[in-house]
Amino acid sequence: MALLEIRNARREFVTPEGTRLAALDGIDLDIGANEFVTLLGPSGCGKTTLLRAIAGFETLDSGTLALDGNDISTQPPHRRPVNTVFQSYALFSHMTVARNVGYALEVRSVERQVREHAVAEVLEKVGLSGMGTRRPNQLSGGQRQRVALARAIIGKPRLLLLDEPLSALDRNLRQQMQLELKTLQNTLGIAFVFVTHDQEEALTMSDRIVVMRAGKIEQIGSPRQIYRHPKSRFVAEFIGETNLFTVTIDRIDGSHALAHTADGLELILPAGNCKPGGNVQVVLRPADFSISDQGIAATVTKAVYLGSDLHLFVQPTVGGPEISITARDSAQAPQPGSKVHLAYDPAAPHVLETA
Amino acid sequence: MRNPLGWAALTLFSLVFFLFIYAPLLVIIGYSFNSNPVNMMQWEHFTFDWYRGLLGLGERAADPNNRAVYVESTEKMLAALRTSLMVAGLSTTISTVIGTATAIALARYRFRAKGFYNGFLMLPMMMPDIVLGIGLLIFFVTVGIHLSMLTIIIGHCTFLSSYVFIIVQARIAGLDPALEEASADLGASEWVTLRKVLLPQLAPGILGGALLAFVISMDDLVITYFVAGTDNTTLPVFIFGMVRRGVKPEINAIATLMILTSVLIAALGLWLRSRKAD
Ligand SMILES: Nc1ncnc2c1ncn2[C@@H]1O[C@H](COP(=O)(O)OP(=O)(O)OP(=O)(O)O)[C@@H](O)[C@H]1O
Ligand SMILES: [Mg+2]
Repeated sequence: MALLEIRNARREFVTPEGTRLAALDGIDLDIGANEFVTLLGPSGCGKTTLLRAIAGFETLDSGTLALDGNDISTQPPHRRPVNTVFQSYALFSHMTVARNVGYALEVRSVERQVREHAVAEVLEKVGLSGMGTRRPNQLSGGQRQRVALARAIIGKPRLLLLDEPLSALDRNLRQQMQLELKTLQNTLGIAFVFVTHDQEEALTMSDRIVVMRAGKIEQIGSPRQIYRHPKSRFVAEFIGETNLFTVTIDRIDGSHALAHTADGLELILPAGNCKPGGNVQVVLRPADFSISDQGIAATVTKAVYLGSDLHLFVQPTVGGPEISITARDSAQAPQPGSKVHLAYDPAAPHVLETA
Repeated sequence: MRNPLGWAALTLFSLVFFLFIYAPLLVIIGYSFNSNPVNMMQWEHFTFDWYRGLLGLGERAADPNNRAVYVESTEKMLAALRTSLMVAGLSTTISTVIGTATAIALARYRFRAKGFYNGFLMLPMMMPDIVLGIGLLIFFVTVGIHLSMLTIIIGHCTFLSSYVFIIVQARIAGLDPALEEASADLGASEWVTLRKVLLPQLAPGILGGALLAFVISMDDLVITYFVAGTDNTTLPVFIFGMVRRGVKPEINAIATLMILTSVLIAALGLWLRSRKAD
């Protein structure tokens, strides 16, 4: 049995224009104990609403929420063994850091000494030892983030909800915090539900990614599944750089299929369920291509320097949209204007199940 | 970069502006130390006599025509001051509780006719004092409540609650709703959240509202005049009574003391606010 079972969760809002908008449109999701699940999706797809429904700040119009098999959907927020790290941190500015962190124990009337001990321990865990007497406004953004985290984990919740907790931090700090969060999650043994719209962040941190779109779940899977085997064009384009080709299958040749685009670009794909004459959509990631002596003839139009790698935009000679590829940067790396050939592993193309 | 002419014009404008506001106050303060009992516009020499007279220390200055002393009775004035302080203290306390509770209720709970309540709470502030005063008087007489200190306090609460409400409401509007959610999320019931998070966060607004209410109550003449009855006089009503018989030097001394008190209260407010800020 999963730690949290969400069944057919629905929540509608009435927009200012008077129409109804389903922020959650039949969500089914299981979250396992000690699992790191990321909710990913474009702005307005319902990530925050789902998180708030789990925490108890939104009531569901219909559907159930069960924690360890007990229905919690009617419990008020303060009764749920679930804690939240808010995007705005929501630290209590009139309390010291130590009192902020110890708040969950304070309201449960935990004895002062026990509380102080626990606070010191948690502050140590998030790397803020000795900062207990400060006020939240005497801390940097990253430190506030840690206080919010410490405050949320001190009560040992079953489930920790994090709504874009890193979005206010600069890139370096964000990457550092990503690693720390992941480590912390492992040592604490708490399940994390993490919201982000940064796909890179989702790929690095998650055990499973839930891709949402307009109140529905589009796909659930491990980062690799989501990246390598997106179910739909939406997922493919949302996660990472994508080259998308709409092709017509010419013939099946053993385990491969030969196909061409409307522009006449010829591609080899894994046969899968392809049938001759059928139309399918094919995903090739920039890293799937390599520059070689033969393959798709093309001209480099633009090169973007990324440090050790180069991001190249190449125009196939037969026409059609540009293809984006990555290549290692070196003295022999192609320049804009160079003629190149693109090769790829015939197993690499991913055929989308749905349009 | 700065246009020097424009800059000079702005400076001049501000100076004139401040002069306009503060000159009357400065004149009063100056005259309160002028020993000339007949024509206070004419400077004689520096004296504390008016203050001594007020407080019942030393000899009370006599009317130049030897008819009566200026402040007929220091006791009466002190009694008026006591009434004023009591009215202001009690009505400030009551209206701070009412105003704060209403602001929280309107900001945090959903119920019908919310907009109606919101508008209704502004009304006592917008209504001309004289209308409110007459209205209250007619109400008290109709219902048969004897005019007393109680009626003054009730009268003051009607409009002071609105002032407190407006100030606390502004503070709530600037508050991150996630603060209360965070408190609930961490296991606090609504009551504990109110006590440990909401009220402390609103404290500067509540204090500011209370100070404003206190000052307004101390200052109110028109409404008090209608609902005070005969046995109770507040300081403004008392002074008004004195002035009707001519502006005498002791009035300047009373005014100066009131200015001093207002400045102290304002300074207290600012100090509390700056202390809360960190
Ligand atoms: N209280 C509300 N009243 C009306 N509509 C709401 C309310 N809360 C959310 N919505 C709507 O529900 C939809 C989902 O909102 P939600 O905040 O869950 O999006 P999100 O996925 O978290 O987006 P973002 O990435 O921008 O944070 C949006 O269209 C939003 O406008
Ligand atoms: Mg959101």
